[in-house]
Amino acid sequence: MAENDDRNDEADYSPQSGLSRRQFVTGLGGIGLGAVLGGVITGGLAQPASAIAIPASQGYLLVDTKKCSGCDSCMLACSLTHHGKASLSLSRIQVAQNVFTPYPNDITISQCRQCPFPACVEVCPTGASHVDAANGNVRTVDVGKCIGCERCVNACPFTSSRADWNFEDKHAEKCDLCADTPFWNEKGGVGGKQACVAVCPMHAVTFTQEVPVQAGDVGYNVNLRSKDGWAKLGAWAKTT
Amino acid sequence: MGGGYAGKILRIDLSAKAVSSIPTSDYEEYGGGHGMGSAIFFDLCKDKTVDAFDPGNVVTVMTGALQGTLTPGASGRCEVQGIGSQGYPKQWFTRTNFGGRFAGNLKYAGWDGVVLEGKASSPVWVDIRNGDVVIRDAKTDGLWGLDTFETEKAIYSLVGGSGSDGWFEIGGSRDAGRTTQKPAVLSIGPAGENMCVSGCLVHEGGGGAGQTGMGSVWGSKNLKAISVLGTGDVAIADPKALMEARAWAQKGFWSIEDPKNLMGMWSNLPAGPADSAGAGRAQGCLACSKNCHGGRGAKGLAPGSHCVDGGYGMFATAVNPKTDQDNAVTTDRLQRLGINAWEMCGSLPWLYDLYKQGILGPGKEIDSNLPWDECGSGAFNKAFLEAMAYKKDIGADLALGVARCAEKWGRYETDTTSGVLALQCHGYARHYDARTETEWGFGSMVSDRDINEHDFNWCMYWYVAFAAMYKMPFIMPAEQLVTMVAEKLLPYKDPKMLDYSEDGMYSDASVKLVAWHRHYSRFWKQSAIYCDWAIADFVSPYREGYSGLTPEYEPKFFNAVTGKNMTFEDGMELGRKIWNMDRAIWCLQGRTRDHDKLDEWQFLTGATRPIKASYEVPYTMPALVDGKWEYAYIDGRKLDKARTEDWKSRFYAFEGWDDNGVPTKATLEKLGLTKVAAALQAAGKLS
Repeated sequence: MAENDDRNDEADYSPQSGLSRRQFVTGLGGIGLGAVLGGVITGGLAQPASAIAIPASQGYLLVDTKKCSGCDSCMLACSLTHHGKASLSLSRIQVAQNVFTPYPNDITISQCRQCPFPACVEVCPTGASHVDAANGNVRTVDVGKCIGCERCVNACPFTSSRADWNFEDKHAEKCDLCADTPFWNEKGGVGGKQACVAVCPMHAVTFTQEVPVQAGDVGYNVNLRSKDGWAKLGAWAKTT
Repeated sequence: MGGGYAGKILRIDLSAKAVSSIPTSDYEEYGGGHGMGSAIFFDLCKDKTVDAFDPGNVVTVMTGALQGTLTPGASGRCEVQGIGSQGYPKQWFTRTNFGGRFAGNLKYAGWDGVVLEGKASSPVWVDIRNGDVVIRDAKTDGLWGLDTFETEKAIYSLVGGSGSDGWFEIGGSRDAGRTTQKPAVLSIGPAGENMCVSGCLVHEGGGGAGQTGMGSVWGSKNLKAISVLGTGDVAIADPKALMEARAWAQKGFWSIEDPKNLMGMWSNLPAGPADSAGAGRAQGCLACSKNCHGGRGAKGLAPGSHCVDGGYGMFATAVNPKTDQDNAVTTDRLQRLGINAWEMCGSLPWLYDLYKQGILGPGKEIDSNLPWDECGSGAFNKAFLEAMAYKKDIGADLALGVARCAEKWGRYETDTTSGVLALQCHGYARHYDARTETEWGFGSMVSDRDINEHDFNWCMYWYVAFAAMYKMPFIMPAEQLVTMVAEKLLPYKDPKMLDYSEDGMYSDASVKLVAWHRHYSRFWKQSAIYCDWAIADFVSPYREGYSGLTPEYEPKFFNAVTGKNMTFEDGMELGRKIWNMDRAIWCLQGRTRDHDKLDEWQFLTGATRPIKASYEVPYTMPALVDGKWEYAYIDGRKLDKARTEDWKSRFYAFEGWDDNGVPTKATLEKLGLTKVAAALQAAGKLS
């Protein structure tokens, strides 16, 4: 991977690709071959055609587990806007907490990372799990095509898996950045709002169009405390 | 039944170790929560004169339509009722409640509530996983004897954690349900197991149903814990309306992006960021947008411990300032033992005073070998709380509850007359001053317990008194404030209800204030179940002219979830019905007008506050002075016996009760409570 580490080599950065320097750099610094980004990469990298063909999502959810209050509003908004019901199990974002574990390890948030190389899409035998070009390349499930094999659920490299099994309606589903929220009057999707972001009272989840750093969690679990109104009062505890 | 309800109530006969269900629709007319709990108690508790520890006592743990939904300041609430052990001189049928994730999980599991009858022959715990309900042995499962934290953690292991992909299947088949969540557990600690009246119910390490002694009632039934894990859903009648209501409400509630306070007071704020116990977060009950729990910092302070649960530690420090008292450690200990913090707040100053008088101590008239010379220290708190929970030393007598303990020591009359034992009424420690804050004092007087409802307490007392104390500008002139708030007090809308002057407190308008508050809380706050720490929202710095979200808030969410068309006034009328049912139950328990009584010191002493460790600031409240509205300093006032008795008579008349405080047949029949009237008739209570 030595050639991929040379982030200061101007020759590797192609302005014609339409990629920002950060997108290019983070793509190569991520999960190796799987982290190829949208657009065409020029230069001397041999990539399989399928890898080059997956365009990056135009939207991502970032969270701050040190800020989250564990109220589960995001989960209830997700199930409400997508399914018209209140359910934690049908939420495509999962907040798990153990009140007896000291802060900050008491809360974990599992939001879909809209992976640049989505394993859930790769393994789907029917194309139900797919990249939706009409909706900013969000990785989502066409439930009409889902045959319930759960390969996507098992393929998600993260715990808890972000591709979920809807055991009520018997199909897979996942975060679509609210592209399809029939029970909400707001416009969702990458050009619109996300229900979890809209309802979070702590502003502990946010939406970005920038591709997060792929290595580890630092790109997806970020500091959202430093600029809010409470921070301006100097009231946040001294944590980073 | 419309949206929001699960449709079934779980019924557990602990004596027979049998499980069955009741259709929620049987009790639909009561709305949910408290209303259903009272009606179920009325039907199932055959002899309502039994003691709290009698197996014939029926305990209900109820949710309503809103629980488990996206409704802020409601979704997490759970209402517990039954004959409580704390009431004095009679153990009144009473209520307590708590937040967190328990109510939501009950709903997701397909249950609107749980009814507990009888007494198990040996300690048990109830394991609810969706529709599968098993009564398990608390001893062989190693739970009996554990503190509340260890109990909950043990149940996490017993019920199971995450599967290999982070999702945990329950029900044994792929489509039976999955979750990433831990079970929600409500348990008792040693205090409840030992049937100490200070024993309470604890959830999530600190969401506590603190008062009433309900923990000891569970102990008397050999019930250690209820665990519930649900993977189902709650049907919502109008999801789009609910999302819109949420967006509307969030604009009117506390915002972390734009923190506004009133008079320098942050009412019900997210506690965590400001928690001095250490680096921490705010923590919230299900779907809440206020997130008032906090702590869980580096010192491990349990989430609910930021609130009043931490008050005992503060009282201990103030009673006898010591430097080594770690409030986080003390509060966690209290939570683990499952002790009612407020009972401790009332008893400790009294006990310390007896020590200083030389009446209590090693070898004294009241023999106690607790380290009273270092009262308030961490070591003392540990010894004291453990004595309470395990009935050691004076804990054996205090297990009767502080009122009965004082009676046993022959000190009740003396010490509640001087005010050294500052019980307000019915065996409950004084909370807000009955001599000044009318709706609190008189409302508690005609009820079963310290009402603990802060609706007027924030805007009529704290915001005003704080501004007065720190010489800050009031948000608006007194007349404007009372007029604005009175507009929300449907159906009465009388600003004179908010006249806290001495004449005002005995007026007919004051009768209306107390009646309004009883009716409002019985339905909107305890049956629809809106959290006392969020609603009523009378005054908000986020809204035009400071006009809070009440009375739009309450029906807006209720109707979006249920699909009903309830008005605020409809809810008030239903609250009046439920309140009358409660009053009738107390009458069946033997209630007379003589029980509607405040402890003696409130009539005799005008001292500012007898408790040294009080959190209160001097009472400045809205009042009519010579016909003009002012923010008046009203501290130091004594209650007047004759005027109080006269107020009671007018209150009874207003409520349609006879002069003994018993609802009349006509009143009950007009409210659709014919069977309640028949029961009172059969018991010879109707005049």
